[in-house]
Amino acid sequence: MPSIFPLTSWADETEAEEKEKTHLPPSSEVIQNGFKIQTEFRFNNDGKKEKIVRIYKREQRMILTSVIKRRLWKKFGDSIHDKNGPNPANTFLGEDTEMIFFTSNENINNSEENIFDKLKNHNSFVKCRNCNGDHWTLLCLHKNVKNKLKLEENESAQLDTGNSDEKIKTHNKYIVPNLRGFNSKKIDSFNNKGFDSLAIRISNLSPNTTDHDLEELVKPFGPISKLYLPKYKNNGLCKGFAFIHFKSKLDAHAAIKALDKHGYDHLILQVDWSTSTN
Amino acid sequence: MQNERSLEKHLHYVAKNIDSNFIKMKPILLLGHERALTQIKYNREGDLLFSSAKDLRPNVWYSLNGERLGTFNGHCGAVWCIDVDWETTRFISGAADNSLRLWDCATVFMLIENSIICVGVEIGQLSVKSAVRTCVFSYSANMAVYSTDATYGLDCEICVIDVRNADDSFSNTSPILRMQVKGSKVTSTIWGPLDKTIITGHDDGTITQWDTTTGRIIHSVKDHKGAINDLQKNSDGTMFVSASKDCSAKLFDIEDLSVLKTYQTERPVNSASISPLYDHVALGGGQEAMEVTTTSTRVGKFDARFFHLVFEEEFARVKGHFGPINTLAFHPDGKSFSSGGEDGFVRLQSFDQSYFDYKFDY
Repeated sequence: MPSIFPLTSWADETEAEEKEKTHLPPSSEVIQNGFKIQTEFRFNNDGKKEKIVRIYKREQRMILTSVIKRRLWKKFGDSIHDKNGPNPANTFLGEDTEMIFFTSNENINNSEENIFDKLKNHNSFVKCRNCNGDHWTLLCLHKNVKNKLKLEENESAQLDTGNSDEKIKTHNKYIVPNLRGFNSKKIDSFNNKGFDSLAIRISNLSPNTTDHDLEELVKPFGPISKLYLPKYKNNGLCKGFAFIHFKSKLDAHAAIKALDKHGYDHLILQVDWSTSTN
Repeated sequence: MQNERSLEKHLHYVAKNIDSNFIKMKPILLLGHERALTQIKYNREGDLLFSSAKDLRPNVWYSLNGERLGTFNGHCGAVWCIDVDWETTRFISGAADNSLRLWDCATVFMLIENSIICVGVEIGQLSVKSAVRTCVFSYSANMAVYSTDATYGLDCEICVIDVRNADDSFSNTSPILRMQVKGSKVTSTIWGPLDKTIITGHDDGTITQWDTTTGRIIHSVKDHKGAINDLQKNSDGTMFVSASKDCSAKLFDIEDLSVLKTYQTERPVNSASISPLYDHVALGGGQEAMEVTTTSTRVGKFDARFFHLVFEEEFARVKGHFGPINTLAFHPDGKSFSSGGEDGFVRLQSFDQSYFDYKFDY
């Protein structure tokens, strides 16, 4: 009985594979439905097999005699060696580009000018916190104006207690705790200086100064609402400074004038208005 | 003869989508120039497209399939301007090598000493004192006008020459008419109706009308704020459109130089052309700020814009060029157009069915 499968050795098979890699199927031309389809195989730049299909349609056109005559002209100049038909070095098909139709002009303008409009619109971009100009705050030219603005705010804050609500809402700025009239919580009366009593600070006190000594020092100047002398917890020595709250500004002023640079227990005192910030 | 009224069977080199219902034509790209294009022109029947660029050789292409017919070799400088006569027998080109050359288009065979000389032979050249910026045949092609650039000590000149029986002595012929231009130099020229006038566009935006018989200025208008880059007539020669560096193109009446319409864009317009079929104008320009690439990089972003002639509104754009469009021309039958760009490509674009169906709503 003859074998159905011919006996082949594996060596023959590998040879066939190699042939396939270098062997290209033949190109063919098929004419169907009025189209001429030309199929071609070749190796492309990467060394891979490529199948190119070109579809042609035959058309018949009536053309002027003069045009036909020109069709017969011989090629000249640089194209003198060109064959019939377009030279692929010079003529090739481009990508599909469609005509983009517009209904109105608005769309075009928007897309092209929006970017630049945004830059022109300084409102949304750069705004100085001081003068509301179109520059960064760091680079604000009106730096002095900036300080004035702040001072004004402080003074108005000190004098104005009732309107602090509005102030805070309008300015939207941070206001130090002691200036917050509406929100002052008298938890710690020692720390809270308040702004209805005039406070002075005496520094460079000797460590063994006591409350009693201090009281005697400042009593001659007028009535006192509060006297605060911070001491160390471990040995009861004063820390070297004290706050006196007078009931009247004149008394405080007099106290400062008299006590400042005044010698007291081998040290020269420094007396000054107590600053609003701690 | 079989050629008379014969049917020509052409195999179209065209890619078509068999599946789709409509036929979409891909643009044909013509790469024959190494430098930027300066001018493209169709001949009267529209089967040939002539192109000139800043490289030395003007090219001729068959507009049907983009096949190159040949090149005119001979110039030594950038070719600024070209024109072809209505019979497609003569071709004229002006270049920066201070010469105006007249070429033969029609001679297929010329037996000189038993050798066959092909088309594209130079008939003669005219040496001028500076670069030739514009050159145009008259309607009958019996005359041609050319203009030169203004150089050191020399004014810009407009000269009219006779090209009827031009032969080797062409270089020695003196112009029929020579006009000195005192103002800014001429950048573009067209002939007026019946060749009685010559209309020139200048570097400062003025448009001047000269009388051909006397050589005097009839009329001068300054409607543009920037240099006139191109002037093109419509198909019957009653109006012309001017493309200017001031980002606009204007439609003028050819007799009295009055502005009929203005087409405004936001970048300098290098060329404008009026469609012979519809009331459309095509504008091509460039020098715009580079936009961020969001589209495919293989498709260029410089586009040709189509405006409605009467309503002055832009209704379509065709992208494709990789550089500013320097020159535009409609095919004489209005069904396709071509554009030459700074990138050295000439794009032959046929219109879709959607272009023919487009109706401006008003």
